[in-house]
Amino acid sequence: MTRAWLVVPGVVVAVLLSATVLTRAQSPADQATAAFRDDVHASAGLTCASCHGAPKPGAGGSYAPIRRTAIAPMCARCHADAAYMKTFAPQVRVDQYAQYQTSVHGRQMAKGEERVATCSDCHHAHGILPVRDSRSPVAPPNVETTCAKCHADAARMSPFNVSADIPDDWSKSVHAEALLKRGDTSAPTCNTCHGSHGATPPGVDSVANVCAQCHVREADFFKASKKHEIFEAMGQAQCMVCHSNHDIEHPKDAWIGLEDPALCSTCHDDSTDSGKTILAIQRGFQTLTEKQTAAAALLERSREAGMLVEDGDAALRAANEAHVRLRVLVHTFAEAPFDEALKTGVASADEAATAGQHALAELQFRRRGLAVATLVILGFLATLFVKIRRLSPIE
Amino acid sequence: MIRIKRWLSERLPLAEVESAIAHKTVPQHRYSLWYYLGGMTLFFFVVQVVTGILLLLYYRPSSGEAYDSVQFIMTRVPFGWLVRSIHAWSANLMIGAAFVHMFSVVFLKAYRRPREVTWLSGVLLLFIALGFGFTGYLLPWNQLAFFATRVGTDMASTIPVVGEATVRFLRGGHEVTGATLTRFFGVHVAVLPAITTALLVTHLVLVQYLGMSVPPSVEAKAAREGRRVSAMPFVPHFALRDLFGWTVALALLAGLSAYLPWELGLKADPFASAPAGIRPEWYFLWTFQALKFMPSHILGLNGELVAVAALGLGALALVLLPFLDRNTTRSRRLIVVAATAALLFMAVMTFIALRGGGQ
Repeated sequence: MTRAWLVVPGVVVAVLLSATVLTRAQSPADQATAAFRDDVHASAGLTCASCHGAPKPGAGGSYAPIRRTAIAPMCARCHADAAYMKTFAPQVRVDQYAQYQTSVHGRQMAKGEERVATCSDCHHAHGILPVRDSRSPVAPPNVETTCAKCHADAARMSPFNVSADIPDDWSKSVHAEALLKRGDTSAPTCNTCHGSHGATPPGVDSVANVCAQCHVREADFFKASKKHEIFEAMGQAQCMVCHSNHDIEHPKDAWIGLEDPALCSTCHDDSTDSGKTILAIQRGFQTLTEKQTAAAALLERSREAGMLVEDGDAALRAANEAHVRLRVLVHTFAEAPFDEALKTGVASADEAATAGQHALAELQFRRRGLAVATLVILGFLATLFVKIRRLSPIE
Repeated sequence: MIRIKRWLSERLPLAEVESAIAHKTVPQHRYSLWYYLGGMTLFFFVVQVVTGILLLLYYRPSSGEAYDSVQFIMTRVPFGWLVRSIHAWSANLMIGAAFVHMFSVVFLKAYRRPREVTWLSGVLLLFIALGFGFTGYLLPWNQLAFFATRVGTDMASTIPVVGEATVRFLRGGHEVTGATLTRFFGVHVAVLPAITTALLVTHLVLVQYLGMSVPPSVEAKAAREGRRVSAMPFVPHFALRDLFGWTVALALLAGLSAYLPWELGLKADPFASAPAGIRPEWYFLWTFQALKFMPSHILGLNGELVAVAALGLGALALVLLPFLDRNTTRSRRLIVVAATAALLFMAVMTFIALRGGGQ
């Protein structure tokens, strides 16, 4: 009882002390110090003073913040110095600052526009991690989120006449699905097409080169086609005309055709040779799809009946691969190369269907065989039954 | 034909065999139906031997070729699908028939003196049949069998002192690999058939020598009524009925193989993660489920070890059953209660496992 009066003030003091300690832990300087412990620069032996210079005089050892316009040049002091950077990694690149100066961000920053991105916006100021570290904001799966911090902010983008829908559009794309759902880190994200440090929207005449980084065959076919010259003459943005730029979908056979919603119908009708080519390609896709569907159904029925149809499955896989090849060959915008590949695909689909038909015929043969065997067995059982009944009675 | 018979009779005791067959009888009473289970098991075993030999012509016992060779049998070899399917179905029906036969012997008390050795050889044959099932399950080298064998062989590691060595012996190494497959194949087609031949000959000779056991209740009733237990001639009465049962079994096998061909599944991939729904053959399901229900520790002992020890004791009790029967009403009632409880336990555990493991 004598000590009870000490409990309440004791608790209050403890809470206040804890709050003080926690509040101190939340200060920007402490946050920066904590984050810097994991920083790749800390492990390389750099300190606060390496970037901030000497502490502010009379400020108790704290450092002055770096102006946004001075951040990139400050980073470049080391990162553009090949001799210095080689001491950490022999093959490290040193052109980031040069690239940055060519970017929209770098050019705006050079004009004194501080709202655009600089090094620390993407890499963090403290706690910078290597790109290969999955926690890094510039690791492939995190790039879109990092860019979206600014590019999905309509208020921030409107002064620059940039749409804030771009990150959302990309997240619906076939590329986002590959990267984020399937974990394919080779799938393109923002910096794959726009560049990292030299981030700039590709121009109309360079879009095909950007896509060609991965879609090599499509680009080769396109460049060799008549369409390439026509698009150049018209000032059309090549790949983007049909595929769009950020919300790129899985290609569909229905895009080919002369009636809405086919993409070709935007510019073509059946009065020209190109219209006839489009119709021929459309028919080719329809033929192959019908054959693939029929073969797949036959094989599925066979499998459900317990038949092994490995050969049919292999042939159907070949037909599916031929279908993908045909979609690539569409970029030739010509009938002849398409027809040749179509024949291969149709032959594979026919082979798969034949395998399915053989399996089902074999199944029927087995069932007929079973019916005959059952009749023979039943006949034998009936004979046995009669014979047993005719035996002398058991004593 | 007559000359051949005369020639053989001069060299072999054909007359004695003929006379024995002609005079052999089988008791006929309300439980006689259970006498056909042994013959049924034997029928399925013969089917196993014949189809097994046919499969041997194409099967290749290595991890690289086993799956493909079974696939070849099922897709390319004429009637290969039928042979493989009959082999798989017949194996399951044989073990089912063997279990029913064993329990019928327990409930009809046919293991009593002087049939202790018949019982012993029969129980050992059941264990061998389970061994056939366990080793044969891995031979197609598919995903499910691979992981089920990994789990099954791992059970032995709980045995104190010799556990790890036993697992290495079973697997031919630390892991289930091609060495395990080759080892299981050798056991499946050479070791177990050799032991089976010896035990089966012993079992059949003893059944013929001692005749069919008559249940004590039937004997007592006949004694009370002052008459002999009815009997039927082995040939042709019993033999024709046996043949009838075998023909029905053959029709069942043909129907199952044609309408529900045994699946092959996916090829085993030792580097893949274990597939969902991994489980052994149905006759091991009750053990599998009981192990899953075991707590990790019981009275400070490893739960799995306790389960394995309990199974071992159960198997030992089964082997020694004729010697545990003290020929008193109390001990026989106790055996019937224990057998019923064991049967119920196995049925309930199997049912739970088939329903998804009670999860």
